Amino acid sequence: MDNSDDITVLRARDFWSAIGLFFLSLFFLWKTSQIPLFGANRAGVSADWFNSAALVPLGIFGGMLVLSIVLFVIAIKAGGAQHALSSIGLGWDKNEALRFTTIAAILTGYIVGLVPRVDFIISSALLITALIYGYRGGHRDRMVTSSLFVFAAGLYAFVTHLPQSQWKAHGDDWVVLLLWIGLVLVSLAKSKSDKVARLVPLLSVLAPFILVCAMAFGFRQNVPNRTGLIFSQIEYNYYVNLKPLWSR
Amino acid sequence: MEFVFSQLAGFGVAMVDLVVDPLTYIYLITSVFLGITFGALPGLTATLAVTILTGFFSNKIPLDYSLIALLGAYVGAIYGGSYPSILLNIPGTAASAATAMDGYPLAKAGRGGEALGMTTTASFIGTIIGTFALLIFVWLLLLVSKNIASPEKALLALFGILLSGTLMSEDLVIKGWIAGLVGLAMAMVGLDPLLSEPRYTFGWSYMLSGFQVVPVLMGAFAIPQIIEGMRHIEAGKLLELKGSIVPNLKTVKRYLPTIGRSGVIGTGVGALPGVGEDVAGWVSYGVGKTVSKEGDQFGKGSLEGLLSSETANNACIGGALIPLLVLGIPGSPPAAALMGAFKINNIIPGPTIDPAIILRVVAILVLASLTMFIMGLFTAKIFIKILRIPQTIFLPIVMVLTTIGSFSVGGGINDLYLMLGVGLVAFFMNLMRYPIAPLVIGVILGGMFDETFRRSLLISDGDMSVFISRPGAAILLTLNIALILAQFPAAKRSFTWMKGKFV
Repeated sequence: MDNSDDITVLRARDFWSAIGLFFLSLFFLWKTSQIPLFGANRAGVSADWFNSAALVPLGIFGGMLVLSIVLFVIAIKAGGAQHALSSIGLGWDKNEALRFTTIAAILTGYIVGLVPRVDFIISSALLITALIYGYRGGHRDRMVTSSLFVFAAGLYAFVTHLPQSQWKAHGDDWVVLLLWIGLVLVSLAKSKSDKVARLVPLLSVLAPFILVCAMAFGFRQNVPNRTGLIFSQIEYNYYVNLKPLWSR
Repeated sequence: MEFVFSQLAGFGVAMVDLVVDPLTYIYLITSVFLGITFGALPGLTATLAVTILTGFFSNKIPLDYSLIALLGAYVGAIYGGSYPSILLNIPGTAASAATAMDGYPLAKAGRGGEALGMTTTASFIGTIIGTFALLIFVWLLLLVSKNIASPEKALLALFGILLSGTLMSEDLVIKGWIAGLVGLAMAMVGLDPLLSEPRYTFGWSYMLSGFQVVPVLMGAFAIPQIIEGMRHIEAGKLLELKGSIVPNLKTVKRYLPTIGRSGVIGTGVGALPGVGEDVAGWVSYGVGKTVSKEGDQFGKGSLEGLLSSETANNACIGGALIPLLVLGIPGSPPAAALMGAFKINNIIPGPTIDPAIILRVVAILVLASLTMFIMGLFTAKIFIKILRIPQTIFLPIVMVLTTIGSFSVGGGINDLYLMLGVGLVAFFMNLMRYPIAPLVIGVILGGMFDETFRRSLLISDGDMSVFISRPGAAILLTLNIALILAQFPAAKRSFTWMKGKFV
């Protein structure tokens, strides 16, 4: 620990985490109470207390409850409660909070909205472009723009093709492709003198393209969204035109 | 002596098997290169390297080859962490944090080439020391472990989690224990191992099979690194590498006692369940500072200080594999990722493990360290160039790698949701200085703890004395209790008093 300010911040955070852990362990103790401790189990096997599926979880959540109380006491003794609501207690200024929120929005938009529904190469290209454009140099407006692009793309895919039966539809692929082109144009316009910025569009497509092809054809691994706009074409041409060349 | 010779003969056979197979070299060179790259790029860790490669290789290519890839990346990444420590004053991995203390001042003084050359040599010798310790001790311990039954296994799993929580905590020890309990709690999700009773599934059928290890590993180790890396603006100036990297034999000879001592310390720390390379590096650095004649120079550019940490963190690799292979308890976070690879290949490390796997692991480690040594000496300039890539360029690609790796192992989108959820929780835990390693160790050992604890009680018909009546169990129970009691202020005071009285 570097200085007393760090300790103050940590204890304030400990104060909050102890409260969170206290209620979390109480909730899970209640859930554990629903698992039979004595007598017959739902599996139909007669079980004594020492064989119950609730035994170890009771110990774990009981232990967590005790430790959360100890942490709470330590935090209060070290002044954690006094600073809990102050800016020093929260330890995050507006910039930090904005940076985290935008990254979280991008990751959520990508994993929850895009990966299941949109072609992996297109969605990853958007993610890579957004992260590099948004966070190189720490420009506040770029972070927000990037996160808006990815989150909007993810939200659109999520809302229009929510059920799994619709994940193969290509409408959202086109929208995300247009958004990626839009973001590339914005990034090129904003960083005319930056050599790296000019490489980003190529890198953002090439990296997921190589990865997904290596996984699918090299390591024969499962890859997300095989029916995606671009990958379905790659797969078709691989099996119909390329593979027969060396399979004969 | 006969035993040692028979082990060396077995090792020789495994080595020949590897050397005559051309695929060995492809996997070895690629994985060691990738490992050093991961280690050299600040923000990427050895655990992440092994985890990502687990996602790529483990369930689709034979374990024989995936072991080469994973161990090669492990050895390379622990060594690679020394590059930014020496040239940038930013540890590439936590294991190289102690290296920066002396490596950077040496580079500033124009001795960067010498520092890098000695680091390469020390890492090589350290890995070899740890590997041969693994070759000898794993068999001795396997003989002992044949007598280990459920009570000992349960207490050993608990000890691993507690020890990891105690030693990996940067702030309060209690936070390490809480992290371990959170991991244990996560392991309780799904069908219980004895009666198949569903627990905490909330009606979600995906949860019936519990938390899969690889998405948890990816979430716990990759997502926080990515968020943390993108949150901070790149800083730091790369120093120019001056002087020859090829080490001077006289200097190596002079520091051989330090290298030997650090190798033994690193192996010993590695053998402790759940502790890892960073603790090994610091412990060895601390011991070196205490016993060295030039202890006052540590932190100011001492070659001995640099070698103390760098030898130990690489020696820790062999040590960390001892509890993994003998007991199924990972000795370090990257070993936990290796455990994930074993699991998805349906191999259960422990007393029943196939001896051929152990001999192969030893042979791979020797070849990997040799590859690392050669690469370190002759291709260092490539890694220094890689070091210039800003975090904001490579972290987005790591995110894509992590996503596809996690998806491929489980084959489902649910694994990605789990990865994201665990990642965001781990990020906040990092922010509040909760160590993540005990959480992962808890997830990995939770199932074993639950099963063996209840099996012990089942056999003894609910008699708790089963944890005292067996000598091994009694020792482990005492260790667990001592570990907890040692954290109480009264115990700490009496320890200080005793130290004052007798030392």
